[in-house]
Amino acid sequence: MRHERVKYLFLLPAVIYILALTIFPLLTALANSFTDIRFGTTKATFVGLRNYIAPFSDYRFHNSLYVTLLLTAIAVPIELGLGMLLAILVNRDIRGRSIVRSILLVPLFVSPIAFALMGQVIFYEGGGGINGILKDIGLHPIKWRSDPLVAKFTVVLSDVWMWTPFAFLITLAGLQAVPKDLIEAARVDGASESQIFRRVVLPIVTPVLLTILFFRVVDTLRLFEVPFTLLGGGGPGIATETLTVYIYKIGFRGFFFGQASALSFIYLAFVAVIVSVLFQAVRRFYA
Amino acid sequence: MPRPASVRRDKLIKDVVTYVLLAIFLLLFIFPIYWTFITSIKIAADTFTSKFLPFLQFKPTLKGWIGQLEAAENFKALLNSTIIGVASAALATLLGSMAGYALARFRFRRVRNIDIISWFLGLRIMPPIALALPIYALMLSLRLLDTHLSVILIHAAFFLPYAVLVSRDAFRSIPIEIEESALVDGCSRFQIFFRIALPLIAPALAAIFILTFAFSWNEFLFAFVLTDRIAVTMPVYIAGTVTTVGVLFDALSVRAMLAIIPPVILGLLVQRYIVSGLTMGAVKG
Repeated sequence: MRHERVKYLFLLPAVIYILALTIFPLLTALANSFTDIRFGTTKATFVGLRNYIAPFSDYRFHNSLYVTLLLTAIAVPIELGLGMLLAILVNRDIRGRSIVRSILLVPLFVSPIAFALMGQVIFYEGGGGINGILKDIGLHPIKWRSDPLVAKFTVVLSDVWMWTPFAFLITLAGLQAVPKDLIEAARVDGASESQIFRRVVLPIVTPVLLTILFFRVVDTLRLFEVPFTLLGGGGPGIATETLTVYIYKIGFRGFFFGQASALSFIYLAFVAVIVSVLFQAVRRFYA
Repeated sequence: MPRPASVRRDKLIKDVVTYVLLAIFLLLFIFPIYWTFITSIKIAADTFTSKFLPFLQFKPTLKGWIGQLEAAENFKALLNSTIIGVASAALATLLGSMAGYALARFRFRRVRNIDIISWFLGLRIMPPIALALPIYALMLSLRLLDTHLSVILIHAAFFLPYAVLVSRDAFRSIPIEIEESALVDGCSRFQIFFRIALPLIAPALAAIFILTFAFSWNEFLFAFVLTDRIAVTMPVYIAGTVTTVGVLFDALSVRAMLAIIPPVILGLLVQRYIVSGLTMGAVKG
């Protein structure tokens, strides 16, 4: 084609824009991560790999890693499972499918901070919200925000509320892409419903499920808003201090830029390793 | 084909179970928003009770809403969110659709198309906190802290990969013949892009704009780090009120509703594109 060269004029603005605002700042952070630079000073001494080694003997880092992995390991399977159940129910021949879809779409557009604010009311321990209802029906109130273990559950519950609809919508799209005659043919051949599901539906839907898994794992590994605001900076204590909350505190409260930068790269490497297999699965959709 | 009575009874039972389960789940998903809404129309004294039926159990009031809508701070935060959302969505949609067009219509050789696509997709993995520090330092040195521009620039960059991959998908679904004949007629590629290709994907383009606007509206971390007083967005503003209004639940609920309503309405408008939009074009809706 004669107009070959013009293609770069279309592509490069976006690429250069992203490079300027993400990759280059990351490079300066990489340089900072080998120094003891603190905010407000320009003095920086080279400290080698110290910032990369120190976190591994720091209990706060261990804790944030544990909290992040735990929340991800609990929230994501619940979201996937519930989303799939809802999708299977809605995919049956039912009335009001579009109403169900519309209602379940709402949480997807509620900002996590708005949810955290709603959570102030719903999870208020003194009455009103859920505890008010529990009291009315004669049950014990729950320490949603003051008990270290329950607080983790509160974060999971919040994430499940916000993101099950994502799993639901995408799974439903996957289920609706399964050719109807394929299922009918299997049925005629005498396959049972569970056989049809396992042998016909699941193989077609699996890539879609892996895509959901990719996006949900990436997002729960960066959980920030609800622990940060609803639970007062990852509280009680450090019970819900996720990696993002922890790095935020080191960087913007302690102003240890060098240390926070190194933590960010450890975190980035850690996320990349966890989702690399899922990434390959999602990539295939663009072939 | 005649079906025995037992099969029909089976179907009836399944239907009942389906509707009951769906009803329970829908109630659970509506609960937080419903509760916040009724709290916003309660008088302060009622906010700690679990009365949930307006008119029957408590007398609703619009006092909280009127008070909050008259407050200048709310108005400022809503305006800031709108300005930042519109500008960053416009920037992401423009640059994104150009790159999406390049990936849909041309073949790149040195770096293959699939690798460029993977790069855009891979950006999604990067944790925002890893960027928050260097971006803060960058905006500080550019003297852009607490300006709309700083948040606009970073939001556009962050949501640009969505615009690229979703628009690529949209361009691939329109026939190439019209563009080819325009090329033969002597139109330049840019004329073809702006006059033919873009109008053809107008609905998808609107959806991309609306989605990136909603993402920007809801984004917290960067807006929080980069703004202080002048350019605060709605999420940053309401996060701050948690400490200032404490347990003034009526005021708090109104603010939560104000932050929720715009993106939710927009989200309902682009339902058809939501699956593709949220999965960066990987899954078609």
